[in-house]
Amino acid sequence: MKKLIFALGIILVTTSFNKALAQCDTEKHVEACIPKLQEGYTFLKSYSIDGEGGAKKKVEYSYVFTKGATYQVLICNDGQSTDGIILTLYDSNRKPVASTKYEGSTLKAIAFPCQVTGIYYITYTFEGSTNYCGGSVLGFKR
Amino acid sequence: MKNTLIGLLGILFLFACDSKKKPSADEISGILDSVRIEEPAISEEVISDIIQQIPSPLEISTLLKEAETKYDKSHLNDPENLSNYNSNFKKALALGVYGTDLGYTNIYGQNQDALFYLNSIKSLADDLSIGQFFDIGTIKRLATNSKNLDSLLLITTKNFNSINAYLQNQKRSNLSVLLLSGGWLEALYIVSKVSEKNPGNQQLKETIGEQKIIMDNVALLLSFYVDNDPNIKDLAKRFAELQSEFNKIEIKTVYREPTYEVVDGMLVVKDNSSSEIIMTDENIVAIRTMVYEIRNNIIN
Repeated sequence: MKKLIFALGIILVTTSFNKALAQCDTEKHVEACIPKLQEGYTFLKSYSIDGEGGAKKKVEYSYVFTKGATYQVLICNDGQSTDGIILTLYDSNRKPVASTKYEGSTLKAIAFPCQVTGIYYITYTFEGSTNYCGGSVLGFKR
Repeated sequence: MKNTLIGLLGILFLFACDSKKKPSADEISGILDSVRIEEPAISEEVISDIIQQIPSPLEISTLLKEAETKYDKSHLNDPENLSNYNSNFKKALALGVYGTDLGYTNIYGQNQDALFYLNSIKSLADDLSIGQFFDIGTIKRLATNSKNLDSLLLITTKNFNSINAYLQNQKRSNLSVLLLSGGWLEALYIVSKVSEKNPGNQQLKETIGEQKIIMDNVALLLSFYVDNDPNIKDLAKRFAELQSEFNKIEIKTVYREPTYEVVDGMLVVKDNSSSEIIMTDENIVAIRTMVYEIRNNIIN
């Protein structure tokens, strides 16, 4: 009986430990992302990308972009690649404007010189992601 | 509902105790303010999504600087007006107003003025129990050196984003909405003042006209609280009047497929769409008059 309780205890501790390890620290990625905004861009917003280990298929935010301003959206995560995180920008009619999945490669950023003021949707999806975790920032310049 | 009734009974009691000494508008506002606000029927998630959409007032300040208009302190709310704000409702609105003013001083590198605004912001934030977001020592150190302008902008922008998130988590999103409404109205006020001084500048007029889109969002946010918060109900009424002026403006959009190129690992979009704002000078004058009136009411 004692052995059984001990074994259950070990399982419980290991599960909690793994869960803690698997938790997505989006704040860390956001902090790393802000300095990566290109020179001349002013930081506006930060976005958490937490796919909850694959449970979430899409993470979406929206923002009113203004005509005459150029916006830059960056993705940051562990490693050099984007770990399957894809950023797609949609206009107010939900028409896709741009995607980091472009001509067979997956890029880390989009620069968008806005010509029509309106609500734009910033959507993150996952394709073959391992961690389903990252951060993103939005900056602008005139 | 029960709390609202108790609050209203409290007001009646004030009248009943001394019929000669009628409570001032501020006193009534203060009492109503102390009544716990019931959560709106709409979900916090929806409210948060709409709040996230509202553009930063910094964008307008940057436009003003790029348009080579001069820094004008007289357009801003005096940081000394702090004593005018004696209820959470007024404090939250004023915090938004001062936040925009701080951004304006930052963009123009007016660090001495920025410090005055920071002090007022810290004081209001403390009163609203959100003072923990302002490490005033660090901010002041950054503000005393113009080379730190980017860091100062970054830290204050991050703080305001954090405050909004915190208030929503604390189920005090009504304050978050007020903070945002005050900040947006102040940016609209400043651009209206600058436009009035530079009547030939079409870009400034267009910027005012484009606010129609944001006006709709702000009015929508306020509408969620009108049944539960008498102060917001009154503010929403004035914003609805402003919205009806904005509704006289038409924005026409022509959609064309964008084109792309990859530069240094980044997708650079060429937006080939265009938009036209159809409005008259009379529309701008009507909007600006109403903005001045509402803003005057908020800051005094």
